Amino acid sequence: MRDRSAHAQKPAFAHMVWWFLFGGGGVVSAILLPVHVLVQGILGPLGVVPVVDRHYDTWVRVLSNPLVKLYLLVLIALPFFHFAHRLRYLLVDLGVPVARTLTAQVIFYGGAVAVTGVTIWVLLTTAPIG
Amino acid sequence: MPRGWWLRRRDYFLYMVREFTALPLALWLLWFLVEVQRASNGPKGYAAHGSPAFVVFSVICLGFALYHSVTFLMLFGVVTHIKGVPSRVIVLSQFALWLVASVVVAAVLIGFGR
Repeated sequence: MRDRSAHAQKPAFAHMVWWFLFGGGGVVSAILLPVHVLVQGILGPLGVVPVVDRHYDTWVRVLSNPLVKLYLLVLIALPFFHFAHRLRYLLVDLGVPVARTLTAQVIFYGGAVAVTGVTIWVLLTTAPIG
Repeated sequence: MPRGWWLRRRDYFLYMVREFTALPLALWLLWFLVEVQRASNGPKGYAAHGSPAFVVFSVICLGFALYHSVTFLMLFGVVTHIKGVPSRVIVLSQFALWLVASVVVAAVLIGFGR
Protein backbone atom coordinates (compact mmCIF):
# COMPACT_ATOMS: atom_id res chain seq x y z
CA MET A 1 0.00 0.00 0.00
CA ARG A 2 2.78 2.39 0.98
CA ASP A 3 4.68 1.31 -2.10
CA ARG A 4 1.74 2.18 -4.34
CA SER A 5 1.27 5.66 -2.92
CA ALA A 6 4.98 6.36 -3.38
CA HIS A 7 4.62 5.41 -7.04
CA ALA A 8 1.57 7.59 -7.39
CA GLN A 9 3.32 10.60 -5.88
CA LYS A 10 6.32 10.50 -8.17
CA PRO A 11 4.54 11.39 -11.44
CA ALA A 12 2.45 13.92 -9.54
CA PHE A 13 5.62 15.68 -8.41
CA ALA A 14 7.09 15.63 -11.93
CA HIS A 15 3.78 16.98 -13.19
CA MET A 16 3.95 19.81 -10.69
CA VAL A 17 7.48 20.74 -11.78
CA TRP A 18 6.44 20.87 -15.45
CA TRP A 19 3.34 22.90 -14.61
CA PHE A 20 5.44 25.30 -12.56
CA LEU A 21 7.83 25.74 -15.52
CA PHE A 22 4.87 26.14 -17.90
CA GLY A 23 3.13 28.70 -15.68
CA GLY A 24 6.34 30.52 -14.79
CA GLY A 25 7.30 30.75 -18.44
CA GLY A 26 3.86 32.13 -19.23
CA VAL A 27 4.11 34.80 -16.53
CA VAL A 28 7.67 35.81 -17.47
CA SER A 29 6.89 36.11 -21.17
CA ALA A 30 3.63 37.97 -20.47
CA ILE A 31 5.13 40.51 -18.09
CA LEU A 32 8.63 41.03 -19.52
CA LEU A 33 8.66 40.20 -23.22
CA PRO A 34 6.65 43.06 -24.78
CA VAL A 35 8.90 45.78 -23.35
CA HIS A 36 12.06 44.00 -24.57
CA VAL A 37 10.61 43.59 -28.07
CA LEU A 38 9.47 47.22 -28.13
CA VAL A 39 12.67 48.81 -26.78
CA GLN A 40 15.35 46.48 -28.21
CA GLY A 41 13.56 45.37 -31.36
CA ILE A 42 11.94 48.63 -32.49
CA LEU A 43 12.88 51.82 -30.60
CA GLY A 44 16.61 51.00 -30.32
CA PRO A 45 17.22 50.00 -33.97
CA LEU A 46 15.19 53.02 -35.17
CA GLY A 47 17.30 55.33 -32.98
CA VAL A 48 14.30 56.73 -31.11
CA VAL A 49 16.01 56.25 -27.75
CA PRO A 50 19.51 55.14 -26.69
CA VAL A 51 19.42 51.45 -25.76
CA VAL A 52 22.03 49.48 -23.85
CA ASP A 53 22.59 46.79 -26.52
CA ARG A 54 23.29 49.23 -29.39
CA HIS A 55 26.98 49.63 -28.44
CA TYR A 56 29.53 47.03 -27.44
CA ASP A 57 30.87 48.84 -24.36
CA THR A 58 27.49 49.52 -22.73
CA TRP A 59 26.22 46.04 -23.59
CA VAL A 60 29.26 44.18 -22.19
CA ARG A 61 29.19 46.28 -19.03
CA VAL A 62 25.65 45.17 -18.13
CA LEU A 63 26.21 41.60 -19.38
CA SER A 64 29.10 41.18 -16.94
CA ASN A 65 26.75 41.76 -14.00
CA PRO A 66 25.77 38.42 -12.40
CA LEU A 67 22.27 39.69 -11.61
CA VAL A 68 21.78 40.58 -15.28
CA LYS A 69 22.95 37.09 -16.25
CA LEU A 70 20.45 35.54 -13.86
CA TYR A 71 17.70 37.81 -15.18
CA LEU A 72 18.50 36.93 -18.80
CA LEU A 73 18.50 33.22 -17.97
CA VAL A 74 14.98 33.54 -16.56
CA LEU A 75 13.86 35.84 -19.40
CA ILE A 76 15.17 33.63 -22.21
CA ALA A 77 14.97 30.05 -20.92
CA LEU A 78 11.80 29.90 -18.81
CA PRO A 79 9.38 30.95 -21.62
CA PHE A 80 10.56 28.00 -23.72
CA PHE A 81 8.91 25.58 -21.28
CA HIS A 82 5.68 27.50 -21.90
CA PHE A 83 6.21 27.71 -25.67
CA ALA A 84 7.08 23.99 -25.95
CA HIS A 85 3.78 23.02 -24.37
CA ARG A 86 1.76 25.45 -26.46
CA LEU A 87 3.36 24.48 -29.75
CA ARG A 88 2.92 20.77 -29.06
CA TYR A 89 -0.78 21.36 -28.39
CA LEU A 90 -1.04 23.60 -31.44
CA LEU A 91 0.03 20.57 -33.49
CA VAL A 92 -2.41 18.33 -31.60
CA ASP A 93 -5.21 20.82 -32.29
CA LEU A 94 -4.23 21.02 -35.95
CA GLY A 95 -4.79 17.27 -36.15
CA VAL A 96 -1.22 15.99 -35.99
CA PRO A 97 -1.57 12.84 -33.85
CA VAL A 98 2.22 12.32 -33.66
CA ALA A 99 2.37 15.37 -31.37
CA ARG A 100 0.76 13.27 -28.62
CA THR A 101 3.48 10.63 -28.56
CA LEU A 102 6.23 10.30 -25.99
CA THR A 103 8.79 11.04 -28.72
CA ALA A 104 7.13 14.38 -29.42
CA GLN A 105 7.12 15.20 -25.70
CA VAL A 106 10.81 14.38 -25.45
CA ILE A 107 11.55 16.59 -28.50
CA PHE A 108 9.50 19.59 -27.34
CA TYR A 109 10.31 19.61 -23.61
CA GLY A 110 13.81 18.36 -24.29
CA GLY A 111 14.14 21.31 -26.67
CA ALA A 112 13.28 23.67 -23.82
CA VAL A 113 15.91 21.99 -21.65
CA ALA A 114 18.43 22.29 -24.51
CA VAL A 115 17.68 26.02 -24.91
CA THR A 116 18.22 26.42 -21.16
CA GLY A 117 21.60 24.69 -21.45
CA VAL A 118 22.68 26.82 -24.41
CA THR A 119 21.53 29.99 -22.63
CA ILE A 120 23.56 29.12 -19.52
CA TRP A 121 26.58 28.38 -21.73
CA VAL A 122 26.25 31.68 -23.64
CA LEU A 123 25.82 33.71 -20.45
CA LEU A 124 28.85 32.09 -18.82
CA THR A 125 31.12 32.45 -21.86
CA THR A 126 30.06 36.00 -22.79
CA ALA A 127 31.27 39.03 -20.83
CA PRO A 128 32.96 37.36 -17.81
CA ILE A 129 31.63 38.40 -14.42
CA GLY A 130 33.66 41.36 -13.26
CA MET B 1 -12.17 16.72 -35.43
CA PRO B 2 -12.34 17.74 -39.10
CA ARG B 3 -9.39 19.64 -40.47
CA GLY B 4 -9.84 23.38 -40.32
CA TRP B 5 -12.35 23.20 -37.42
CA TRP B 6 -10.63 26.18 -35.90
CA LEU B 7 -11.44 28.35 -38.92
CA ARG B 8 -15.19 28.00 -38.43
CA ARG B 9 -15.62 30.18 -35.39
CA ARG B 10 -13.92 33.37 -34.35
CA ASP B 11 -13.20 32.22 -30.78
CA TYR B 12 -11.73 28.94 -32.02
CA PHE B 13 -9.51 30.92 -34.37
CA LEU B 14 -8.40 33.29 -31.59
CA TYR B 15 -7.63 30.29 -29.38
CA MET B 16 -5.31 28.96 -32.09
CA VAL B 17 -3.70 32.40 -32.49
CA ARG B 18 -3.03 32.34 -28.74
CA GLU B 19 -1.28 28.97 -29.05
CA PHE B 20 0.60 30.19 -32.13
CA THR B 21 2.06 33.28 -30.36
CA ALA B 22 4.66 30.88 -28.91
CA LEU B 23 6.37 30.46 -32.29
CA PRO B 24 7.30 34.10 -33.15
CA LEU B 25 8.14 34.82 -29.50
CA ALA B 26 10.45 31.80 -29.33
CA LEU B 27 12.19 32.95 -32.53
CA TRP B 28 12.59 36.48 -31.17
CA LEU B 29 14.16 35.19 -27.94
CA LEU B 30 16.56 32.93 -29.87
CA TRP B 31 17.57 35.89 -32.02
CA PHE B 32 18.08 37.92 -28.83
CA LEU B 33 20.30 35.12 -27.47
CA VAL B 34 22.40 35.42 -30.66
CA GLU B 35 22.88 39.12 -29.87
CA VAL B 36 24.00 38.29 -26.33
CA GLN B 37 26.46 35.76 -27.74
CA ARG B 38 27.84 38.32 -30.22
CA ALA B 39 29.16 40.34 -27.28
CA SER B 40 31.89 37.70 -26.95
CA ASN B 41 33.24 38.70 -30.40
CA GLY B 42 34.94 41.80 -29.05
CA PRO B 43 34.26 45.46 -29.90
CA LYS B 44 34.95 45.03 -33.63
CA GLY B 45 33.01 41.82 -34.02
CA TYR B 46 29.91 43.06 -32.21
CA ALA B 47 26.88 44.27 -34.12
CA ALA B 48 23.45 44.85 -32.60
CA HIS B 49 20.43 43.66 -34.54
CA GLY B 50 19.20 46.60 -36.55
CA SER B 51 18.21 45.56 -40.06
CA PRO B 52 14.83 46.72 -41.41
CA ALA B 53 13.79 43.06 -41.55
CA PHE B 54 14.52 42.68 -37.83
CA VAL B 55 12.47 45.78 -37.01
CA VAL B 56 9.53 44.51 -39.09
CA PHE B 57 9.84 41.11 -37.42
CA SER B 58 9.87 42.81 -34.00
CA VAL B 59 6.74 44.81 -34.85
CA ILE B 60 4.95 41.57 -35.75
CA CYS B 61 6.31 39.93 -32.58
CA LEU B 62 5.15 42.86 -30.46
CA GLY B 63 1.60 42.24 -31.65
CA PHE B 64 1.80 38.56 -30.72
CA ALA B 65 3.56 39.38 -27.43
CA LEU B 66 0.81 41.82 -26.40
CA TYR B 67 -1.85 39.29 -27.35
CA HIS B 68 -0.12 36.65 -25.23
CA SER B 69 0.22 39.07 -22.31
CA VAL B 70 -3.42 40.17 -22.31
CA THR B 71 -4.90 36.68 -22.72
CA PHE B 72 -2.48 35.06 -20.28
CA LEU B 73 -2.83 37.65 -17.51
CA MET B 74 -6.64 37.60 -17.79
CA LEU B 75 -6.71 33.80 -17.67
CA PHE B 76 -4.16 33.66 -14.86
CA GLY B 77 -6.30 36.08 -12.85
CA VAL B 78 -9.36 33.92 -13.34
CA VAL B 79 -7.68 30.67 -12.28
CA THR B 80 -5.88 32.25 -9.31
CA HIS B 81 -8.05 32.07 -6.23
CA ILE B 82 -7.29 34.13 -3.15
CA LYS B 83 -9.94 33.96 -0.45
CA GLY B 84 -11.91 37.18 -0.11
CA VAL B 85 -10.31 38.85 -3.13
CA PRO B 86 -12.51 39.20 -6.22
CA SER B 87 -10.88 37.85 -9.40
CA ARG B 88 -11.29 41.28 -11.02
CA VAL B 89 -8.91 42.74 -8.43
CA ILE B 90 -6.38 39.95 -9.07
CA VAL B 91 -6.53 40.54 -12.83
CA LEU B 92 -6.15 44.31 -12.37
CA SER B 93 -3.19 43.89 -10.00
CA GLN B 94 -1.48 41.66 -12.57
CA PHE B 95 -1.95 44.28 -15.27
CA ALA B 96 -0.51 46.82 -12.82
CA LEU B 97 2.48 44.52 -12.22
CA TRP B 98 2.95 44.22 -16.00
CA LEU B 99 2.93 48.03 -16.32
CA VAL B 100 5.41 48.57 -13.47
CA ALA B 101 7.76 45.82 -14.73
CA SER B 102 7.66 47.30 -18.25
CA VAL B 103 8.52 50.79 -16.99
CA VAL B 104 11.40 49.46 -14.86
CA VAL B 105 12.85 47.31 -17.68
CA ALA B 106 12.53 50.16 -20.20
CA ALA B 107 14.24 52.55 -17.76
CA VAL B 108 17.17 50.14 -17.33
CA LEU B 109 17.51 49.37 -21.06
CA ILE B 110 17.41 53.06 -21.98
CA GLY B 111 19.19 54.39 -18.88
CA PHE B 112 22.31 52.29 -19.43
CA GLY B 113 22.42 53.11 -23.15
CA ARG B 114 24.25 55.98 -24.76
